[in-house]
Amino acid sequence: MLFSTLPQLRWAGCVAALGLLSGCELLEFSPNAYNGSKEQSNLTAKNLARMATNPLRAGDTLRFVFTGDSQRFYDHAEKLVESVNQQSGLSFMVVAGDISDFGLAREMRWVDDRLSKLDIPYLTVIGNHDQVGNGREAYQHVFGPLNYSFVYGDTKFTLIDTNSREYNFNGRIPDIGWLQQQTRSLDGAKRQVVLCHVPPLDGDFDPKLTEPYAKALEVAPKLTFALNGHTHSFGVSEPFDDGVTYISSYSFQKNQYVILTVWNDANDQPKFRLKTIAF
Amino acid sequence: MRGLLSLFWLSAAVPALGQSAAPDSVAHPWYRLHHVALQTAGGAGVVSGGVGFVAVRDRLETDILVGYVPEKLAGSALSIATAKVLYSPYTVPLGQKFQLRPLTIGMYLSYTHGTINDEEPFQYTKGYYWFSTDTRVGLLLGGRLSYLAPRAANPGRTRRISAYYELGTNDLYLASYVPNIKGMNFTEILTLGLGLKMDL
Repeated sequence: MLFSTLPQLRWAGCVAALGLLSGCELLEFSPNAYNGSKEQSNLTAKNLARMATNPLRAGDTLRFVFTGDSQRFYDHAEKLVESVNQQSGLSFMVVAGDISDFGLAREMRWVDDRLSKLDIPYLTVIGNHDQVGNGREAYQHVFGPLNYSFVYGDTKFTLIDTNSREYNFNGRIPDIGWLQQQTRSLDGAKRQVVLCHVPPLDGDFDPKLTEPYAKALEVAPKLTFALNGHTHSFGVSEPFDDGVTYISSYSFQKNQYVILTVWNDANDQPKFRLKTIAF
Repeated sequence: MRGLLSLFWLSAAVPALGQSAAPDSVAHPWYRLHHVALQTAGGAGVVSGGVGFVAVRDRLETDILVGYVPEKLAGSALSIATAKVLYSPYTVPLGQKFQLRPLTIGMYLSYTHGTINDEEPFQYTKGYYWFSTDTRVGLLLGGRLSYLAPRAANPGRTRRISAYYELGTNDLYLASYVPNIKGMNFTEILTLGLGLKMDL
């Protein structure tokens, strides 16, 4: 079996770590606790650092994998990784939230055990399931910030927590002010992409913020598309008739993922091509 | 799982092996406190402590523990109440001073207080999440080594001081493993608890 050697190594590590209890996942204090291997923490920063060592030349088109909702689909994760590793010209993969099903750190690490077998780095945005119990804290420990942005090649990515129901619709999630600030400037990029988990017309998105969210995207310069997960079904639409394309990801369980290719045309306007791959 | 179950049936079918439980515990009524316990990990906290009762000629134990996880390790300070029912069919004497219980099987139920996002009124529609954030049930498989310490007041009788281990898993980990038997290794869902018990 592909992963049979890893747990055994970890067991040996656990025996060695008996004196340093907090470093060992086997010696679990609570499923809601997140103490564990240092290697499986701050994964967002680590994957961004990996991407920085493999930059895209200015003017190059960008190809990346778009998927979501890995929650409890570990068998599928293995097959997805095999399939993605057979593709060429990819820069990274994004997972549109719901990494875990129960908001437990161990689940997030189980997903990383599999996705770290990808030849390319992967990045995540937080989903509603990742916030159950102490999941939000676990996510921040294992992956990193709930809202973040980065520029890779000519594309700026803004990833934002839109799981309003997990905050009981407190009116502050998604953080519209932060989104406006991020999308206003391209930070030297030539186009931008926004990625979240819950899409703006979903019942789990704060209805008071749907309009300001959509407006922020409408006025965002050079926005190629807005990406989301949560629905577990792939779809491309323009729900607000405002020129903004929203793309919803397959879940891992659907045995399909999307490859997105983005570039700018002769008029410097963002263009994309979309390819679905079955595995 | 299958291994654990067959061990259970095996132990139920061979009850007479190694019958040498401490004689003073035979007459112990089930409702009287029998021992105290101190544990680390096993999903019961960084440290947990509590008391236990015994029945069925010392083979069946019920332990009640209260444990703690500091905020630094979980994002919020957690208090965990755990009730375990443990069945240890065999007791093997190791000379005059020691005893081995090679097999303990059990179940536990725990409740965690202090989780952060813990369902406010009207936050979710009914059945939005099918599982409980705070209540866990789990299975245990372990063993222990006991030292028979003479009691100061009554040197003829002994008091067991035991060190134990418990491998376990919980409902959510099993719910993750069962649909993914091909893609997951059983060791991935295991937890380990280590502890000490002392007869009162």
